[in-house]
Amino acid sequence: MGTKKRHGSTFGDVLRILFLGQKHTKLSLLEEEQMQSPYKTMLRNFTEKKPAMLGVYVFILIFLACFVLPLFFPLDLQYQDPTQQNVRPSMSFMSIPKALNGNIAQVDGGSVYGVGIDTNGTVYQWGVLNQKLQAVPTNMGRVVQVSAGLDHVLALNDRGQVFTWGNNRFALAPIPMEVGFTTIKQVIAGHQLSLALDTYGYLYVWGNSNIVNVVADDVQGNIEKVILNSNVAIALTKDHRVVQLSSRDTPFAAIPQEIQGKVVDLASTDRSAAAITNDKRVYVWGGQDHGVQEIPEHIQGKAIQIDAGRGHYTVLLDDGTVESWGWNIYKQSKAPNLKNIVNISSDYFQNYAIDKDGNIHTWGLRGYLMGTDQYGRDLFVRLISGGRITLTIGAIAVIISGIIGVIIGSFSGYYGGQIDILLMRLAEVVNAIPFLPLAMILSAIIGSKISETGRIAMIMVILGLLSWPSLARLVRGQILAAREQEFVTAAKAMGITEAKIIFKHILPNVITVILVNLTLSFALCMLYESSLSYLGFGVNEPSPTWGNMLFGCNDSTVMSQYWWRWVFPSIALSLCTISINMAGDGMRDAIDPKSAER
Amino acid sequence: MLKYVLKRLMYIIVVFLIASVLIFALYKSVPGDPARLMLEGSKQNMKPEEYEARYQEAVRKLGLDKPLPIQYFTWLGNTLRGDFGYSITYKMPVKQMIGVPMKNTIMLNVWSLIPVFAITIPLGIATAVRRGSRFDSIVQVVTIIGYSLPFFVIALLFIFLFAVKIPIFPISGVQTPGFTGSSIQLFMNKLYHMALPLIVMVFTSLGGLTRYVRATMIEALRMDYIRTARSKGLTEKVVIYSHAFRNALIPFITIMTGWFISIFSGSVVIERTFLWNGMGKVIIDALNQQDFAVSLAMVMFYLILALVGNLLMDLSYGLADPRVKLD
Repeated sequence: MGTKKRHGSTFGDVLRILFLGQKHTKLSLLEEEQMQSPYKTMLRNFTEKKPAMLGVYVFILIFLACFVLPLFFPLDLQYQDPTQQNVRPSMSFMSIPKALNGNIAQVDGGSVYGVGIDTNGTVYQWGVLNQKLQAVPTNMGRVVQVSAGLDHVLALNDRGQVFTWGNNRFALAPIPMEVGFTTIKQVIAGHQLSLALDTYGYLYVWGNSNIVNVVADDVQGNIEKVILNSNVAIALTKDHRVVQLSSRDTPFAAIPQEIQGKVVDLASTDRSAAAITNDKRVYVWGGQDHGVQEIPEHIQGKAIQIDAGRGHYTVLLDDGTVESWGWNIYKQSKAPNLKNIVNISSDYFQNYAIDKDGNIHTWGLRGYLMGTDQYGRDLFVRLISGGRITLTIGAIAVIISGIIGVIIGSFSGYYGGQIDILLMRLAEVVNAIPFLPLAMILSAIIGSKISETGRIAMIMVILGLLSWPSLARLVRGQILAAREQEFVTAAKAMGITEAKIIFKHILPNVITVILVNLTLSFALCMLYESSLSYLGFGVNEPSPTWGNMLFGCNDSTVMSQYWWRWVFPSIALSLCTISINMAGDGMRDAIDPKSAER
Repeated sequence: MLKYVLKRLMYIIVVFLIASVLIFALYKSVPGDPARLMLEGSKQNMKPEEYEARYQEAVRKLGLDKPLPIQYFTWLGNTLRGDFGYSITYKMPVKQMIGVPMKNTIMLNVWSLIPVFAITIPLGIATAVRRGSRFDSIVQVVTIIGYSLPFFVIALLFIFLFAVKIPIFPISGVQTPGFTGSSIQLFMNKLYHMALPLIVMVFTSLGGLTRYVRATMIEALRMDYIRTARSKGLTEKVVIYSHAFRNALIPFITIMTGWFISIFSGSVVIERTFLWNGMGKVIIDALNQQDFAVSLAMVMFYLILALVGNLLMDLSYGLADPRVKLD
């Protein structure tokens, strides 16, 4: 003993040993009994329980995942993308078949898949393909051009014939008869819309014209190239002018006058359009979202080919390198350092670059680890951010209920009498009223008047206000037992104030019991929060929590076809509560002197 | 005993009054004017003067023109007489509206009681007796997992397994829509629809209850009278089931009270997930449609239930354990 501080004698030591571990040295029975502090005994009891330790480790992992990973995968609350709805977990958006390497001819990316042809004219597909997309026609011959749209593909063979597969609604499947009578040189597949351009500069349109209505009457017979996004079609004419193929006035019509007559290549994101002129300069007009108009200065005068995804541009420079800018949510505008590139293709969130040996390089969105939800949002990102909100709400609710419970329980237990009876009756009633209905009513009445952040705070307060009774009763019982002990009498005799006796002399003796209870009610609060959010009375969209990610998942379509939407949040929530409960249960056993009974 | 009962009754009345004031305050802070809501929909068909007159009449009828304390006592009196107010969405008194859901909820809950107790009590006793054994530790871990899993996760899992993958049960509902047939067929149809929510309900209750039975049994088995019973040479069976279990029953009463209340309140999550037309679903629908009269009536109803349950619990404590009365 002596002056040296004993290891494991303070609560801080307990926490340190708990997380850092400690070496076991076998002592003789006598020594052990003499040397071990109560905390150390508890700790040893605890660390010897495998389920409890497993619970601690799993919880630490979940905690780190929810608080560290969001720093690397930030959540954009406003983000939605209808083209990425209900995509199953996959990382194959850009997994090009090996057979294509070295002899690739052309490649095009669709919403969540890609299609390419080799130099022999064989078609390959990869990514998330539905059944209709997998049904590639077998009689196409030698295919020289492919174009992938939202969920359908167009292909052109060396005899100028056009083929289509994939989505066959909206009159996409029947190719117009006129297309068969002429020689097609470009096919374009878009959002439920197909375009074909013949060698004479005539454009043929079929499919759903409600999303994009193509009006090309003024320039028919003079079109060199057509591009299509989810809003409009834009044409490059044979005299190097840019024309918007729409009867409506859109931002795409604001074409810079100085480029007319000089344009050699054209591309467009969803909100903006870009062109390369014959002096190899890039011009962008239309919307400004995601910084698409901030063209890197060093590419001016060197650009020879341009292509675009939903919010980013990629250009090929005359020295064979590539450059991307614009939207970077899936790192699609972070072009690698490539050399000897001869052709590029950008679509949605993917980029492909083909070098002079026929090898292919990719960057951008490879897929979604846990799939996407009904709004096209990445479930993995929502899961980790949702976990952060769920854990925070649970923790703060527990702190609130802990403070209320300890105060009420202490006073009730220490003073007894009328105060005790009244407080305990109140606790009984709060405890007896069904929790969820009451929380739902409070949330519905108060929640209609406040903002979304306020709502999250409100849920914490409601959970805290309704879950204190069990703790209060526990503290009361412990204090009832402690107040009759000699050290309390001694403290009273010394004239110490009652508040000080309760909080400085009695409470430290029962702190472990309180901690166990708080741990267990942390899991309970998380369960309540998730239940509330699942029912639609907790945290609302677009803020994610593990509960509200499951909102609406009791639907048979979601259950069977979009299993990832309910499986992953369920697993996360269950793992988290199970691990907390296991740790809490182990703690309870560890501190219970009766359970030791050696 | 009489003094004990009277004392408990008095406390309960005090608590009821406090709680009812709080609920009334909630009721008053609800957005929207109940008199206008009552006339909603008929505004277009009326002249402005007529509407105004009808509005004033509604205000008088609802007693909104009187001072707050009088409103409170009128409301309290009505509630105690069983008049829980008027549902705006269903256009009928709340009391009448909750008849069918109440029946559905009670049916579901009563049926779930039987398997729950048939499983948890023997399991809890067995684990308590064989405490520390491998069997006990496995059951302990399984039950932790059982009570940690959120209800809706279990419900979704069971729906996925038994209604989507192997479609032997219907996904949701109380009975087949537009079902016609004899009353026996109707009953069977209802049972068939009840199967999945029932299974889920039983499953969700197993973990917590088993652990509770185990804990109380362990507590009882530690007592001196158990040692005495054993040293007298009684068989282990008699010691466990007659001496220990009867004493373990006392804390069990607390759990029974909870059950008594939940029989009427229903499980919000399970009823929502299975679209079971019960009390839990009534309260969700009422809140979604801003029908606050219904939801607050339900809280009031729960409060009364809770208090009655508490009183019953106190009384049964008194009956089960003579020492309690002495306090």
